[in-house]
Amino acid sequence: MTVLVGYVPTPEGDAAFAAALQEARRRGEPLVVLNSPRGGAPVSADVAPEDAVRRMHERAGADGIALDLRQNAHSGDAADEVLRVAQEVDASVIVIGLRRRSPVGKLLMGSSAQRILLDADRPVLAVKP
Amino acid sequence: MDLAPVLDGFTVVLEPTNLLYCLIGVVVGMLVGVLPGLGPAATIAILLPITIGIEPVTAIIMLAGIFYGAQYGGTITSVLLKLPGEASSVVTVFDGHALARQGKAGTALGIAAIGSFVGGTVSIIALTFLAPLVAGFALDFGPPEYTALALLGILLVATVSSGSRLKAVVAACIGLLLATVGRDAFTGGERFTFGSLNLADGLDFVPIAMGLFGLGEILYNLEERHTAAQAPAKVANVWPSRKDLRQSSGAIGRGSVLGFVLGILPGGGATLSSLAAYAVEKKRSKTPERFGNGAVEGVAGPETANNAAATSSFIPLLTLGIPANATMAVIFGALLIQGVSPGPQLVTQEPELFWGVVNSMYIGNILLLIMSIPLVGLFVKILRVRPAILAPITVLITLIGVYTVNNSVFDIVLVIVFGVLGYLMKKIGFDPGPLLLAFVLGTLLEDSLRRSLLIFDGDATGFFTRPISGTLLVVFLLVALVPMIRAAMTRRPTAAQQNDTSKELV
Amino acid sequence: MSSARDGARTPGSPGGSSAAGATPEGDVVTTRAAETTPSTLHDLEEAVHQLEHDAEHRPPPAGTTTNLVVATLVVALGAAALVGSLSLGAGSAGNPGSGTWPLVLSIVIIVLGLGLAATARTTSDAERFSRSSWLVLAGLATMVVFVALVSVIGFEIPAALLAFVWLRFLGGEGWRTSIVTSIGVVVAFYLIFVAALSVPIPHLF
Repeated sequence: MTVLVGYVPTPEGDAAFAAALQEARRRGEPLVVLNSPRGGAPVSADVAPEDAVRRMHERAGADGIALDLRQNAHSGDAADEVLRVAQEVDASVIVIGLRRRSPVGKLLMGSSAQRILLDADRPVLAVKP
Repeated sequence: MDLAPVLDGFTVVLEPTNLLYCLIGVVVGMLVGVLPGLGPAATIAILLPITIGIEPVTAIIMLAGIFYGAQYGGTITSVLLKLPGEASSVVTVFDGHALARQGKAGTALGIAAIGSFVGGTVSIIALTFLAPLVAGFALDFGPPEYTALALLGILLVATVSSGSRLKAVVAACIGLLLATVGRDAFTGGERFTFGSLNLADGLDFVPIAMGLFGLGEILYNLEERHTAAQAPAKVANVWPSRKDLRQSSGAIGRGSVLGFVLGILPGGGATLSSLAAYAVEKKRSKTPERFGNGAVEGVAGPETANNAAATSSFIPLLTLGIPANATMAVIFGALLIQGVSPGPQLVTQEPELFWGVVNSMYIGNILLLIMSIPLVGLFVKILRVRPAILAPITVLITLIGVYTVNNSVFDIVLVIVFGVLGYLMKKIGFDPGPLLLAFVLGTLLEDSLRRSLLIFDGDATGFFTRPISGTLLVVFLLVALVPMIRAAMTRRPTAAQQNDTSKELV
Repeated sequence: MSSARDGARTPGSPGGSSAAGATPEGDVVTTRAAETTPSTLHDLEEAVHQLEHDAEHRPPPAGTTTNLVVATLVVALGAAALVGSLSLGAGSAGNPGSGTWPLVLSIVIIVLGLGLAATARTTSDAERFSRSSWLVLAGLATMVVFVALVSVIGFEIPAALLAFVWLRFLGGEGWRTSIVTSIGVVVAFYLIFVAALSVPIPHLF
């Protein structure tokens, strides 16, 4: 039983991480941070930079929570990856950050948050910054 | 030395069209160097159809810009991401990335830019003086000299190619065979055409180059597993300090000379000179332990050398008509398409072309220097584009582009066939470079050989009676046979030695 | 990283680290070379190869069977060329004919092919054909379909199909991205090649 948070280095991601930390503390479970970029390109804005990673470890350590950071790339859909990892780590809750999308944006690029909310077979905590 | 044609060359370069294409070439070159996947040879091959509609000078100016631009582009990823973008930038990873980890990425990039500029410029100046001399000397070459030169050139490129030497020579022989397809120049008879009308005039260079290098590389890259992604790197301090500059000045000077010399040799080229420059700097240094931990000389030397070599590798092509490496072979083909025959007569018969191209390199180097630092951020952003998206676009550019050359669907078939060949060759360790190089030289080699045999009345030892062809052939035989002899000699002692070590372990 | 290199190795002895005189520590030195920076040109080459290998993630080397098959193919090619050149007329050194040069080349190829067969066991620069090789076959298939259909129904549909397959199946992109990008690419190509440059490529619209 773990708490899984899908993280990207954005305000939404930071909010999700903070909320996930609280959840992990409340439930007394370890925290799994999934920071998985879309595979292929050598550089991705989705990857958490070193200082962000350090801060995450510091905050988790300060609260006494075990942190498992996964940064391996995935191919295919981001939502599928989150759901797959949730299954793998037996997450008791999935924490994601919500971002505003215009209707056109949702049409052209889809919303992985929407996919996760609808397809997950476990509780999902959606957080806004 | 007659300076008039040199100055005329500048007039050619400063024409707006040529300036524009120079800029395009350098920017495309840097892009190609930054993006993993395609290299300058593949890009130049894919862009060959574009060169058909423009003036020869303009075309070569652009293609040259792509070549030396790519040397610098590869440095950006080496320094920032520890990912060598080009083979000639691999050595820069050692100290360049170390500097980046210390927060001094800007220093590394700045030194690399300055070194590249100085190396390129020194090389062009040396080229300006050396090239007419070589061309003048080569005007006396007859068929035996060309035979020997072509043979030596092909062998040297095969020797230094990636992968096993044996396979590279096989690739070269296949290239020479492909050159025989079509009409025999001496007798007019058809060879290996299998009755096909399309093959009657011989295999066209463009589809072969585009397929072998372009599609072949794209297909080969399909099998590459994903590299781990990194967060976008920030480049803070943009310029090297005066202390860094002073420390690197020696390395830059030595790198220029080393790069110039090694670039002229067929098969030498940018990669070899970057390796050699690094080794020299480390050997010379009084504090070699700094290397690998952010020694500026470790960046300055190789970066200067590879740009100097990229420039000087034009010399054999423009003065003798012998391409020194795979990229030069593609440019050779580009010249042929335009109806220009490279050779010693190029300097005197087409001075505007020759000096236009040479002088464009000054401008190109200046453009590189100006654009290199401001555009780094842009290039790093471009690295976020997934290769999966670029691949089909490049494939379609190649397939449709090759059609535009002759409006022939057969060319598309040909480019696909050679794409498969290129993929298979890379897969099983045959370097496609020697094949293309041998293909472009094939007709010249066979013609010269047959003419020489006619001159010597069938007596092959006649080659050795002429000083130049004799010397070249001796070098050829040495390069061909010495490594084989050494391999045979070292195999026996090694077997004995391995017996000793196994005894020691027991 | 480009693989069409302009000279990636110094013409060193093929014996490499097993040359006479190398100490039994030879293997240790090679692995250490990846960590500390190398000084001699040979160590440098080793380190460079290690770096390129780490950066590229290619399939493992092929086995002896593959190498032997390759060698056989080379010899077969040489033999075919030999037959062809003989039929063209072998000529002689004093009177070279159409087939003389191809004859010389085919003999060289056969000899080299035999050399490849002899070293098949120790050759390690070929790659194994793995599951990812099917991707290459799929990519090839799309290109064949393209060239087969282009003169019949124009380039737009085959190009869109090719782009879609490459994006969705070979590139792992999502459905939406693949469809949108394929259409976008074809539109762009149409605007550039047909509208702007008036290239006479067969087109439907």
